[in-house]
Amino acid sequence: MLATIGLQHYLILSALIFSLGVLCMATKRNAIGILIGVELVLNSANINLVGFSKYQTGKGDGQIFAVFVILLAAAEAALAIAIFMNFYNNVRTIDVDRGDELRG
Amino acid sequence: MPQSMLASMWMPSAEELSQLAPLFALVATIVALLLAAMFTNRNRNVAASIVTLGAIGTGLLAWKRLQSGAPSWAGFDPNGMGPMLISDTFSQFFIVLACVFMLVVTAMWWLGQKSDLPDSEVHRMDATEFFVLFVGSAFGMSLMVSTTNLLMIILAVEMASLPSYGITAFRKKNRVAAEASMKYVLFGAITSAIMIYGASLLYGYYQTLDLATIGMKIAADMQAGATTGTLFLSVAVFAFMVGIAFKVSAVPFHFWCPDVFQGASIEVTTWLSVASKAAGLGLMLRVLSVIICAPSAFPVEAFKYVSLAIAIMAALTCTVGNLAAYRQMNLKRLLAYSSIAHAGYMLMAVAILWSPTDAGIGAAHPAFSAIVSYIIVYLLMNAGAFFVVAMVYWSTGSESITAMNGLIRRSPMLAVCMAIILFSLVGMPPLGGFMAKFYLLMAVWKGGLYWLVVIAVLNTLISLYYYARIVRAMILTDDGLPEISAPMSGQLIVAMCTIGIILTGVLLGPMKEIANNNASNLYAVVKSDVAPRTASAAGPSAATPNTENADTAPTIP
Repeated sequence: MLATIGLQHYLILSALIFSLGVLCMATKRNAIGILIGVELVLNSANINLVGFSKYQTGKGDGQIFAVFVILLAAAEAALAIAIFMNFYNNVRTIDVDRGDELRG
Repeated sequence: MPQSMLASMWMPSAEELSQLAPLFALVATIVALLLAAMFTNRNRNVAASIVTLGAIGTGLLAWKRLQSGAPSWAGFDPNGMGPMLISDTFSQFFIVLACVFMLVVTAMWWLGQKSDLPDSEVHRMDATEFFVLFVGSAFGMSLMVSTTNLLMIILAVEMASLPSYGITAFRKKNRVAAEASMKYVLFGAITSAIMIYGASLLYGYYQTLDLATIGMKIAADMQAGATTGTLFLSVAVFAFMVGIAFKVSAVPFHFWCPDVFQGASIEVTTWLSVASKAAGLGLMLRVLSVIICAPSAFPVEAFKYVSLAIAIMAALTCTVGNLAAYRQMNLKRLLAYSSIAHAGYMLMAVAILWSPTDAGIGAAHPAFSAIVSYIIVYLLMNAGAFFVVAMVYWSTGSESITAMNGLIRRSPMLAVCMAIILFSLVGMPPLGGFMAKFYLLMAVWKGGLYWLVVIAVLNTLISLYYYARIVRAMILTDDGLPEISAPMSGQLIVAMCTIGIILTGVLLGPMKEIANNNASNLYAVVKSDVAPRTASAAGPSAATPNTENADTAPTIP
């Protein structure tokens, strides 16, 4: 039997995706993998925002926030991938563990 | 209600827009840069001139607002959801500082592109892109200090960060720069994602994006002795603060700082070392003061733990910064750790923001005036120190501490200035660095965090060693390196910074007065303007926050 979908469901989904994102950021050694983890966390924030906006405030502000976050994620990904390309051109890999020239 | 929102589209009035003239001037600078690149075949001198004019214009606009004593303004408030942008002495002060520093960095670019190092090649070729990103990050930092809205804070932090990643990666063929920018973008993306998640939780719990309203609701909850959701709230606040701590490079979010400072070209390092930190501190002060000062009668006890957390972070930040600077051979990296340590000192004053003062309402909270004077002196010291390092670099191609060997013979003027600047960074009397640190530690002492003062003094002693190491290299070690051909204008800027440092140290009275004046205005803004405004705006929801929160607080599984 199907229960009505409420705020809790949004929050549980969001918490799950957030945990997956953090796990991904912590374990991946490939720069793109880490970026995917970042996107997961951003999307979990979006689910939060949209859910809270629908079930709690009733105003549109949370959904507008989510639109801006999507935009930010796109801008960030574009810039990050350009920087990874640059790293690849110099080091021939995007394994973050190979970025070990700067330390101490 | 969504329907009414659509029915009456909100439009800002011309008068409202004129309040934001400095911000518009920065955006106009970016547009002018792009158009000029199109029409002048990407002429680098035109680009640099536009940035110079833009910085002067923006600085004058902000300065005029600062001097005119115009009442602080908070606006862009459709549907009474709280103001999106704020223009007051606090924001104008930081915009003026940013513009002054933009001029310093532009001057450094101008001199640097004349050298025949590989960096300069990039700077000559891609001047337009460099300056667009540079002014973009300045715009983001100006936004960071002009808002109390969660959405605008996030946008401002990203606006400041994204161009900074770009200009860090600017030396495309350089492996170290590529690595530094990759670390920067990854750290930045991770912390800002967590910050946005924290913001979404805060929004959900308090159902508003306006920080002042959030502050009042927190206070009302605490007065009512509400304990539900405390864990939820602390997770949200902590996650939100991660993003700001990243910008200030507070331990444990400081790892990007030395790598980026070493990898980026020296103009970018100079810019990030002061502007990014000042903007981060400005945002932190704004956020915390709005949350704390909004309620009229709040229990101070409740904020003790937050204060303690920030105090511990400050102590760790300056200790880690100073200890790690010990064994650095690269000058930029050494100065990076030194800037982490200085961020730690400034955070100490943030920690006493909670302590009540006997100065009374409307008078300056010592934390504000301490940080204001510290930032002014810090800007002078870092501008001078990085300019000397830059001129040594242009002339020798080396950023190692050994490049400074025998500087007293190779360029006596630079060596003397650098020695004064370094002793000021340590905090030796009678220099500006000492006065600034003295005010700051006095404030912390009066705020009751005695152990923090002890840690700061110990740290000062530690820091003496590594700053003195540079002085020793300049004066005592001489391995016959050729003389430095430092450009006159560069020497002039260094000299001006040095004189500024001496003056801020010697003119004890005026310095204190300026800081107090600025800070009392800042505090008046926070205390009397923001709180009542939102009190009326938040209206009924503020009157019965407890029942409302009890009804609607999400139950966290």
